[in-house]
Amino acid sequence: MASILEVNSVSKRFGGVVALEEVTLSVPERGIVGLIGPNGSGKTTLFNVVTGFHVPDKGEVWFRNQGGMERIDGLNPNEVFAKGIVRTFQVPRLFKNLTVLENLLVTPWNQLGERPLAALRRGWEREERELARRAIELLRRFDLLPYANTRVSELSAAHIKLVETVRGLMTPARLYLLDEPAAGVEAGVAHRLFSLVRELREREGLTFFIVEHRIEILTRYVDYLYVLHNGKLLAEGKPEEVISDPRVVEAYIGGG
Amino acid sequence: MLPGYPYSIVNFLHYLFFYLLFSLPLTLSYRNTKVINFAHSNFITYGMYTAVFLHGLLGNTSLLAAAAAAFLVGGSMALLNNIAVFRPLERRGASPSMIMIASMGLWIMYNYLLYMLADVAHFFSRKNFVSYSKIAYSDVPELSIAGFTLSQSFVASMLAALGLVAALYLFLEKTRLGRAMRAVSDNPVLAEVSGIPRDTIVNLTWLIAGGVAAVGGAVWTCFSGTITPQSGDAMILQVFTVSFIGGLVSLLRTGLGALAISFIENVGIAALNTYLGVPTSFRPFLTFATLLTILIASPPLGAAGGLPYRFRRRRG
Amino acid sequence: MIDVVGFLVSWLTLLGIYSILALTLNFESGVSGVTNFGKVLFYGVGAYTAAALTVYLVLILNGFDVTKTPPYSVEGIVALGQLAGQNPALNLALFALSLVLAFLAAGLLGYLLSYPILRVGPAFVGFTLLSSGELMRIFLQHFEPVGASKGLMSIPGPFAWVPEPRARELAFLGVVLALLALTYVVLDRLVNSPLGRTLRAVREDEVAALCLGKHVPRLKATVLFIGSGFTGVAGALLAYYLTAVNPGMFVPAVTFNVWAMIILGGMGNLRGSLVGAALLTLFDRLLTFLTPQLGITVISPDYVRWFSVGLLIVALLLLRPQGLLPEEPVRTPALEELEVALRGGGSG
Repeated sequence: MASILEVNSVSKRFGGVVALEEVTLSVPERGIVGLIGPNGSGKTTLFNVVTGFHVPDKGEVWFRNQGGMERIDGLNPNEVFAKGIVRTFQVPRLFKNLTVLENLLVTPWNQLGERPLAALRRGWEREERELARRAIELLRRFDLLPYANTRVSELSAAHIKLVETVRGLMTPARLYLLDEPAAGVEAGVAHRLFSLVRELREREGLTFFIVEHRIEILTRYVDYLYVLHNGKLLAEGKPEEVISDPRVVEAYIGGG
Repeated sequence: MLPGYPYSIVNFLHYLFFYLLFSLPLTLSYRNTKVINFAHSNFITYGMYTAVFLHGLLGNTSLLAAAAAAFLVGGSMALLNNIAVFRPLERRGASPSMIMIASMGLWIMYNYLLYMLADVAHFFSRKNFVSYSKIAYSDVPELSIAGFTLSQSFVASMLAALGLVAALYLFLEKTRLGRAMRAVSDNPVLAEVSGIPRDTIVNLTWLIAGGVAAVGGAVWTCFSGTITPQSGDAMILQVFTVSFIGGLVSLLRTGLGALAISFIENVGIAALNTYLGVPTSFRPFLTFATLLTILIASPPLGAAGGLPYRFRRRRG
Repeated sequence: MIDVVGFLVSWLTLLGIYSILALTLNFESGVSGVTNFGKVLFYGVGAYTAAALTVYLVLILNGFDVTKTPPYSVEGIVALGQLAGQNPALNLALFALSLVLAFLAAGLLGYLLSYPILRVGPAFVGFTLLSSGELMRIFLQHFEPVGASKGLMSIPGPFAWVPEPRARELAFLGVVLALLALTYVVLDRLVNSPLGRTLRAVREDEVAALCLGKHVPRLKATVLFIGSGFTGVAGALLAYYLTAVNPGMFVPAVTFNVWAMIILGGMGNLRGSLVGAALLTLFDRLLTFLTPQLGITVISPDYVRWFSVGLLIVALLLLRPQGLLPEEPVRTPALEELEVALRGGGSG
């Protein structure tokens, strides 16, 4: 299948420390691809390069636009989002003092009512109502409607993870980068989240690229797995093959 | 030959010592506690006034005694701020902005409390404490080197600044507690896991930061012609800019910042004055221009927060 | 005999001006998270723009050579006093022009100053704006064309031609309240719109907002333009109200006073800012009124007053961080849609 994201020999160093070295990988459209590696192996740095937090020292990042591939490295995070990439964080970064509904409504890109003059003159209400109906529909679908008016700071950890993922559905984004979705939640919740990922792939045709520490959960849901070690790509392939690869076992035992 | 030589050079070194005494504790406090403390200038001013009150009310002429008292005063203020204000706010999960605003509230309180103290002291002693003149101490020598006479305050600030740098280096590099302190600033979560009590480290940091800044203030009383309850605030632009050059985390770069700002404010302004006729009152604008240049050209991101945004597109 | 009407008029005028400051600061800092510790800079720029424009134009249009009789000289001040009431149309035209220019001057300064502080953390933002304000004051103290440390005096007000003082004060009060209403309506619409929601998101987590495609730098610059613009208008009103400006009026303490108002009223709640401004200006007026009665001479009451402002800020943040009126959800038609959905869900 055609790839939606391609990372071509990307290198990144901070001061003297090498964070990524010649990393090349690709994510196929409608795929669920995992990325694992010991602490400090460069997983989050790779996400940061793809989402425009960092400019790579070397190499390119390409993303599939209508028609062809488009180079996206060096774009700012807001521009990367506009291309169609949503990202979640290891520690969820919802807007804590906004309600769940507001967190969903804030997501769509380039709303009419976000322009100062339009906000003053009004005329954005129609679009707002449409967005609200879509948000309510999503909340209903994921059993979040009773929490619509709740501030995020009052939600449980599991609900926060769920809202952070659901929020992306307010946009036409096609690629989701999930940074440790299972961190800090019970196994049951983690499995429900990954089932949701599967469901979204089937029903919405979305693509997922997932960093995860809890390999035992991750391997049950991904079709393909990459392993980073000390900033380099160590192994790749089907999950069951990769985790039995002696080099990978060695890296995890040796590198903590 | 440099313009204004030799005074510009002597002043350059002199201010360098003071900026080290004032700014290193600011950087230290931010990197260990992640609280940006606008009340930092209060430590300096209260250090000055500890010396002023000791001299004016008790007739003290020992700078060593004044500095020791100042350390206690500044250190306990900082400790009190943390225990009564910063820590409760952190516990409640207040944002860094809110904690910064609280420090601004503390700044105003301390500032006007000092004015009131000066008024009360004036009432009882009939001496003017709102504008106090330079103090001559009996326990600091003047030095004569190669025909130059180095003033009391030069000797005192040099000893204090070099002593501070040496002590900080030894403490952070060689002692167990110092290494724990560095671990806290590098990675609070990790340090917590490895069994180092973060609260102790944070309290100790405040004690040192407040104390050292106040010692700097005490030394200032043998340098400045007039001391007022605003003397510390008058230096806040320089003190913060120096720490900002260090990104609020690096002590080494804070030291370089002290070097740079002191150079710009003494040698730089002397040069501009000689060659371009720029008035010396233009000095703070030069410092401010440096601050803006740093914020634009190399914004301190990372530890001190900030936005991963680039105005111009860059490609690797 | 206490002059109740006089007290009310002067209190309401100052309240109106301070309310504009509190509303804009709340919009910038409470809603959008730009910690503006340099409020006084934009206030001062507005005041000086209006003052300088008015005194210079009044003299020039009346045939004075301002190189020989500058407005800050004794002759200039006397001439301004004589000319003040002669031409109502000129006074009103200059007033209107000053308000527009004060908005633009302060607004543009805010927009430009946003550039160095867009990307850095709150520590740098707060400090840079604070020191900008102090530098403006140092600059004004040395800048001869606006009277250096003496400032400008005898600024002809818009209603200087009205003979009856009480009527003059009431007319000015009317203008202040009208401009306050305009500020409130504009900011209320902005806050209760998708823009207001996005600004709150930026306040909560600017990095996450950037990752959701929000152009955070442009949003912050816009906020500073709008907020500073209205602050400039408040400054212009102050200059006309006091008929004098000098650098000593624009010390950092003014900024902190406004901060105390918005924290007391409730950050993120515009009505709260009005309440906060009302309470603190009333406290001020009462203190000025009561101080002579108390007869305390050891400690200056000014110090007690400013100490209380600091104490109020710290105590509120510790004990009631949400202020008197807590922030409310953004009011948009989305709330109505939600209500319909929740009711529908309940019955079905």
